[in-house]
Amino acid sequence: MSIKRGQKVPGSKKPLGLRIYNHRWFYVMFAPVLVFITLFNYLPMFFIRYAFYDYKMAQEPVFVGLKHFEKLLKKQDFIRAFVNTFELSIVKLLLNTFMAVIISLLLNEIKNLKAKKAVQTLIYLPHFMSWVVTASVFRLILSPTNEGLVNSFLVNLGVINKDQMIYFLAEEKWWRPVYYIVNIWKDTGWGTIIYLATLSGISPELYEAAQIDGANRWNQMRFITLPSLANTIITVLILNLAKIMNLFESVFVMYNSAVYAVSDVIQTYVYRQTFGGGIPNYGYTTAVGLMSSIVGCVLVLICNYASKKVRGRGIV
Amino acid sequence: MRKSTQKFLSLGLSLALVFSLTACGSKDEPKADPTPAPTQGATDNNGGDATATPEAPVSEVEKPSVITVMIDGTVFTEPNGRAQFETALEAELGLDVQFTQPDHSGYYDAVGLTFAGSNWPDVVILGGSYYTNYASAGLLADITEYWDNSELKASGRITNVDAMEAIKVDGKLYGFTPARGNGCVTYVKKAWLDKAGLSVPTNYDEYLNMLKVFTESDMNDSGDPSNTYGVSAAGLVGTEAPYINYLPEFYQDAYPDFTQDESGKWIDGFSTDAMKAALQRLKDAYSAGYIDKETITNGTKDCRTKFFDDKFGVFTYWAGTWAFNLKNNLESNGKDGELVVLPPIAEMGSYVERQAPAWCITAKAENPEGIFKYFLEPMLDGGAVQTLWTYGVKGVHWDDKAETIKLTEDKELTFTEGQFHFLPSLEKPDTLLTKHHLDPMLSFATYVDNADPGISSVNPVAKDSSEKFNEWAVPAKMVVSNDTINEYNADLWDLRTQIITKVVTGDMSVEDGMNEYTSQSADMVQEILDSLNN
Repeated sequence: MSIKRGQKVPGSKKPLGLRIYNHRWFYVMFAPVLVFITLFNYLPMFFIRYAFYDYKMAQEPVFVGLKHFEKLLKKQDFIRAFVNTFELSIVKLLLNTFMAVIISLLLNEIKNLKAKKAVQTLIYLPHFMSWVVTASVFRLILSPTNEGLVNSFLVNLGVINKDQMIYFLAEEKWWRPVYYIVNIWKDTGWGTIIYLATLSGISPELYEAAQIDGANRWNQMRFITLPSLANTIITVLILNLAKIMNLFESVFVMYNSAVYAVSDVIQTYVYRQTFGGGIPNYGYTTAVGLMSSIVGCVLVLICNYASKKVRGRGIV
Repeated sequence: MRKSTQKFLSLGLSLALVFSLTACGSKDEPKADPTPAPTQGATDNNGGDATATPEAPVSEVEKPSVITVMIDGTVFTEPNGRAQFETALEAELGLDVQFTQPDHSGYYDAVGLTFAGSNWPDVVILGGSYYTNYASAGLLADITEYWDNSELKASGRITNVDAMEAIKVDGKLYGFTPARGNGCVTYVKKAWLDKAGLSVPTNYDEYLNMLKVFTESDMNDSGDPSNTYGVSAAGLVGTEAPYINYLPEFYQDAYPDFTQDESGKWIDGFSTDAMKAALQRLKDAYSAGYIDKETITNGTKDCRTKFFDDKFGVFTYWAGTWAFNLKNNLESNGKDGELVVLPPIAEMGSYVERQAPAWCITAKAENPEGIFKYFLEPMLDGGAVQTLWTYGVKGVHWDDKAETIKLTEDKELTFTEGQFHFLPSLEKPDTLLTKHHLDPMLSFATYVDNADPGISSVNPVAKDSSEKFNEWAVPAKMVVSNDTINEYNADLWDLRTQIITKVVTGDMSVEDGMNEYTSQSADMVQEILDSLNN
């Protein structure tokens, strides 16, 4: 039976209760997700109101209006953390996406299935290491002593003298490059999964037709593979943009007081404000969190708008 | 999808939800029918065996049936037999004790989050600045009266009543400290001193010279004189009061927080000339390579590992049990384990004893007097309960029967009948336990009839270090707290640690550092000083 546009689907007149009953097992399956999201995502939103209160332990919250927002916008440390969050997140996002696409393309070119699987396994593994372990490993590798692999290498190559070893994690000019490299090492492999899935979905007929037309491998990649990946790249970028204000663990395990100027992000700033001694004012730290959530939300909306303009459709 | 599959999946997911939410709830239900109350100053020392409890004293204080307690990692952890300890303690106290024990390194984060909610424990351990801050903020119960009227205080077994006086906030007591706070002393590898032909330094110049020799000579016989340095520490400044205890020879009389001058007026210690001089000393030593380059990113475990690997020769670390641990680990690594406990150099005059961690009753506890009498006071009962807190449970953590304990393939220890000895750690079976929450060398109360079952087992190295520290140390300054300080504390410490790091690592001069500190903190500091002095 064919259904024409505008024609009602048979059965759609059934009462809602009956339709729910018919699909009851799907609803039961959905229930855990609904409960979790309600409990851990939506209910906490009610406490956003504390951004407008002085809220300290054991004291009744006192409404203070926009006081915390005025205060944080005057604070140099907050502004610095805000700018750092943007810079670190966006550069990390672009680098990780770029590297993931490149590696996906290279992996896609490997014809030996066993070799391809082996490489995939190897590059996925770092994703499963905790950030604490990752930071410890890189601290050893980057140690400014004879035990540090990188410094020893540089000394042996004659690039630096023994007394000029670089303290990568405590020098402002080195911290960010190191941070980006560690992130690429850890997350690029995992990021390739979605691109490899897209690549496997490209019709081989397109490549065959291109070959018949005389396209070499570079042109096949340029005119078939990359355009096919474009939608996925944009989608991944936009989805990840929503999370750029959430930078915490990767920074927290690698930063220190010597590099706050280039490494301190909103979440680490909130952490120190909350647990850095004294009785914290949760009102202030909630205000900082709310501010970053609003910025994240605005960013997603802007990107979605840009996507609609460029591609004719958005993703949210 | 087949209907049976749908059913199976949906039931599975629902069960997963139920179990995961169950994990959010309280794990223990109050136990019914608690045993009778213990007497103060129990007469046996059976180490916590769950045996019959002596008859309860006549008391007007209501005995709580359940006490919730938040503890850090100084109490035996779950893998190390906390459940057995809990059972034995409940049997001795005759009440249900419900412990919450967050990870030790994140303990104060967990405490902060707990107090931000409504489900407070009855009792919580708080150290140094946390105790003062929480007491000042009205989060803790005033126990002055309970302590003053306690049988424990009147028992004559308390060796240091002044310690309880020292933690009073505005004349009121908010915590019970069963033991001294302990602190750090400087250990020097004797083999390195001997190899360098140096005597024990007595002043800063001699100390610095020692670091210089340790840094520039091949102290670890590796053939490479460049792979050792003088001293290492976990950070250039501590994150908790007394802040300066890991590099005391450099800080000397400097104190980087608010303190009172000789006239009793509050000043910002970070802005003083003493602090400038301290920063200059640190900067000079760091640039010369005498201080471990990785001090900024070191954790305490990193320092210990480097010390055991003979990377440096001078280590300021905890007195007492740790003296033995350091020696033992050095020897396990095939190094000479003999350590000299350095007397405070002339410029320091003394070491600093940190404010003792306090057992506090929270302001929301319903029966603080009962909790004090039936939970805190027995901690130093001079008998079974004190033994539980000091050594753990007999047969689980310690024993006195004749036995041979095999720690490793080539390490066996034999004990005779009646000889007190710790048992292997349940978590690390190749290591013997060394103590429980209370260090017998630091405890404030003697045993009834001096019948401490394990005092003879205290290692002489640990004892020596502890006795020297007790002789050389002065109590740390009490951390001050009020609403204004709480408002700016995090910002000020952010700024201070950044200035210290930048100055010491050579990014700025001491003068520039101090100028930057003043320009960024002047308003905050002035407001705090006004709140303290007016």
